[in-house]
Amino acid sequence: MLRKLTPYFFVAPLMIFIAVFTYVPILTSLNLSVRQWNFLTPDMPFVGLHNYEELFASAEFWNSLKVTVLFAVLSVPLRLGAALFIASRLIRETLSSRLLRGAFFLPSVTSTVSIAVVFSWVFATDYGMVNAILHLVGLGRPQWLQDPYLALWVLIIVNTWRQLGYDIVIYIAGLQAIPQELYDAAAVDGGQRFHVFRRVTLPLVMPTTYFLLIIAVIEAFQVFTIVNVMTRGGPAGATDMLVNLLYEIGFELFDIGRGSALAVILFVLLVGLALLKSRIIGSKVHYEA
Amino acid sequence: MIRKLHSTIAASAFALFAAVGTAEAATTVKFWHTFSKTNGEALNKIIASFEAAHPDIHVEAEFVGNYNDLVAKLQAGIPARRTPDAVILEITRYGLFANNNVLTDLTPYFAADPLKDDLYDYAREIGVINGKNYVVPFNSSTPVLYVNKDIFARAGLSADTPLKTFDDVLKAAKTIQDKLGAEGISGIGAPGQFARWGLVMSNDSELIDPKTNKILLDKPNTIEAYQWMASLVSQHKVASPDGVTDEDKGNAMFMAGKVGIDMDSTGSYGGRKKALGDNLLVRPMPCNKVCSVPIGGAGIGIMASSPKEVQDAAYTFVSYAASPEANAAWFAATGYLPINKKSAALPVAVKALESQPGIDVAINSLPYAHGRARATFVTWMRTTEYKVWQSIALGQRKADEALKDFAEQTRKESQRTGN
Amino acid sequence: MKPENPFVALLSLLVGLLFLSPVLYSIWMSFQTADDFYAGRVTFTLDNYERAIGQFNFARYLINSLIVSGLVTVLGITVATLAAFAFARFRFPGGDLMFGATVATLMIPSHISLIPNYLTLAKAGLLDTYAGLILPAISNGFACFFLRQYMRGIPKALDEAAYMDGATHLQVLWRIIVPLSRPAISSMALYIFIAEWNNYIWPLVAVGKQDLYTLQIGLARLYRINPGEGLIDWPLVMAASTITILPVLLGFLAVERHLVRGITMGAVK
Repeated sequence: MLRKLTPYFFVAPLMIFIAVFTYVPILTSLNLSVRQWNFLTPDMPFVGLHNYEELFASAEFWNSLKVTVLFAVLSVPLRLGAALFIASRLIRETLSSRLLRGAFFLPSVTSTVSIAVVFSWVFATDYGMVNAILHLVGLGRPQWLQDPYLALWVLIIVNTWRQLGYDIVIYIAGLQAIPQELYDAAAVDGGQRFHVFRRVTLPLVMPTTYFLLIIAVIEAFQVFTIVNVMTRGGPAGATDMLVNLLYEIGFELFDIGRGSALAVILFVLLVGLALLKSRIIGSKVHYEA
Repeated sequence: MIRKLHSTIAASAFALFAAVGTAEAATTVKFWHTFSKTNGEALNKIIASFEAAHPDIHVEAEFVGNYNDLVAKLQAGIPARRTPDAVILEITRYGLFANNNVLTDLTPYFAADPLKDDLYDYAREIGVINGKNYVVPFNSSTPVLYVNKDIFARAGLSADTPLKTFDDVLKAAKTIQDKLGAEGISGIGAPGQFARWGLVMSNDSELIDPKTNKILLDKPNTIEAYQWMASLVSQHKVASPDGVTDEDKGNAMFMAGKVGIDMDSTGSYGGRKKALGDNLLVRPMPCNKVCSVPIGGAGIGIMASSPKEVQDAAYTFVSYAASPEANAAWFAATGYLPINKKSAALPVAVKALESQPGIDVAINSLPYAHGRARATFVTWMRTTEYKVWQSIALGQRKADEALKDFAEQTRKESQRTGN
Repeated sequence: MKPENPFVALLSLLVGLLFLSPVLYSIWMSFQTADDFYAGRVTFTLDNYERAIGQFNFARYLINSLIVSGLVTVLGITVATLAAFAFARFRFPGGDLMFGATVATLMIPSHISLIPNYLTLAKAGLLDTYAGLILPAISNGFACFFLRQYMRGIPKALDEAAYMDGATHLQVLWRIIVPLSRPAISSMALYIFIAEWNNYIWPLVAVGKQDLYTLQIGLARLYRINPGEGLIDWPLVMAASTITILPVLLGFLAVERHLVRGITMGAVK
């Protein structure tokens, strides 16, 4: 009897933690999303789908969705393009390529808050690094983080800088999996460098590209730290990405019902994206085998 | 190596837990506040002298952030029961807590306290909702208009340049911007939320009617005032957007001598005086259509959840903080208004009035100073207003549209909270 | 390793330095006084570190970060290893379902549990404690999945020999599986440690008491609440930022290859 229970003892701690801190919270969020509560009142009246209606009727939600999608759409090509380019230069196992990989990878294990703080200085209007250089060459002093059009770009640059190393590492793994014969064959056909890249490299790293693309999109939907530290969603909502809006509604305005409704919507969006990702990884594994 | 690391971690964890458990003498009053730097030092002195006079009470003070941060932390703390015993509450934002029974009704304490006869009427009034006293005033203020004398002189403006109407202020700001903009100096600081409220009032309007709680955010005069404020940033470019996205940064710019004119609470007088010395000049707020300024600042409330003996100890502190000695010292160090009728006669206050020119500007504006609405939804309104202001000031939305939407949202919120 | 053109090597070095220049410059800046920084003079001082550690409590934040990340790593790895062992070696009713539920957590974004976890820990009175910071971070579906895959690659014959000698399940796990899974376990430990070290949103809502701030919260707050009366003291902020980066940076330099391998494995699987 006890022998039969053994595996359950082994999995029990993990299952308890997962249940309490991951699965039950989904139900709690669903429940809170149909109620009205601000932490202060003793009861939380049921309001049906009102919170969802309010959210869908608010300009804030659509602005936030727009900003998040814009962030994803602008940052994905930047990240993947740069990463593939750099990865294809660093594919050889030389000392300098190893060092450079290390340099590019460093930011992705560095504290995001530190990065955000450092780049707040880099893009500071006065005494900032970028403006010092621009001023030197006579290009003025743009107010990067106070300008509704530029601020999102700054966040995209910072996020790209942070994530690039990860993308490069994955691309290198993908590129190294391409058999050398294929390159040789293309070269024999008299292919130019770009031709080889377009005909051989690009299609063969496509699965890796899909994988990174979805990862990047999922990440865009979860960006919070750099927004919270650098812009707090401003100026004028220009960087008010979805998780930041969730934080604002939940922990600044304490509209727990509406905040939970937003959490549920985001959850559905992200699980959808994740399912898409696992299908692609499935096809990738298949492809490599 | 790893094992050693583990035992080090375990040891330090143990030390930390042990430190938490140490016994403390008598009653401890946990007090959350919003004062740092110059004002924080002044508060710490008041607490020290209170503790010297009441050795059985220990005030454990913690600086939380600005008024907005504090309200958020308090609200977040309710379900977690992590709240202080006494708390500084900005006078338009405590309705939320008073109306949800989070704050103790201080009426019985207050009725038995001789202090009530010593407070000025304007100060006593701010602590009352529906006839009940929830906070005792501590730091009262009105906005004033600060001028950097040196910048004025360099721009060729005399110290008594008229600054009565919006046009006057704009003209002076433009002169500074034209003459000194190339040196990185701005004509005027983007008005903070307290100053914005004041400018709306000087344009003969209000955000919320203090008597009826009617929402006036979309009244033509309110819109006009916002249009003017926004034009400083987006149209005339005499104010830097730095102060729009972060009020504190705007203040810092003035302190660093990079802004000619800045409108803010008289409570920042002490810090500004320290930073600018004799270059600081204080003028009254503009009277564009009428002379009217908001009464701001905060009082101290006591949490309903604290045990009775702690509440008693907390009230002893609250009452002391409004006493003539404490209030006179506070006034002299910070520039906040005297709230106690007996403070002004004390030597420290007399000296401040003599030696710190401009500290009396706010006092002189009291005849036309008015209390503001403090309904439950005002907290929500003020938290949300920052975003609305940013969108107008940075030219993302037209003032009339943005404010009409904002007024609608606020009306909904006021219905929701039952006010 | 292949020999290489010194010109290429030099160029690579420059590109790497340029890429990291914001961080490198911030470290450099942390040794300047604020006045000198604003005046554009070059000096050397340790004053910013003294102030960050003394006046602004960063020594305490560093200890807090070490305690929290350390305990999350130890507990997280333990819990994941136990479960991974069961999933790799036993077939039991509900096992597949539970494994599925574990893997599914990889798809669940953490923010859905933000408000609920806040309320759970609030009710338990565990906000503003180390436990409140640690407990929600312990379960790690990815680590469990990853370890289970790795353990399945260990020949079963080894376990069976040990069982023949009368070993218990725990002994088999501890004496055979764990030593053989070392590379996977250390990769995951590193991954958990770094993720927890850099965790921001949860400590942001779960901790109100300054004594319990982690480095991330302490740094964000120092930056936001400019402690001086005038312009922001960038060198001080950068000293605090360097303190926040340094431990992970040093760790990274020590184990870079390990980490990269772990990440590549994780992505391809």
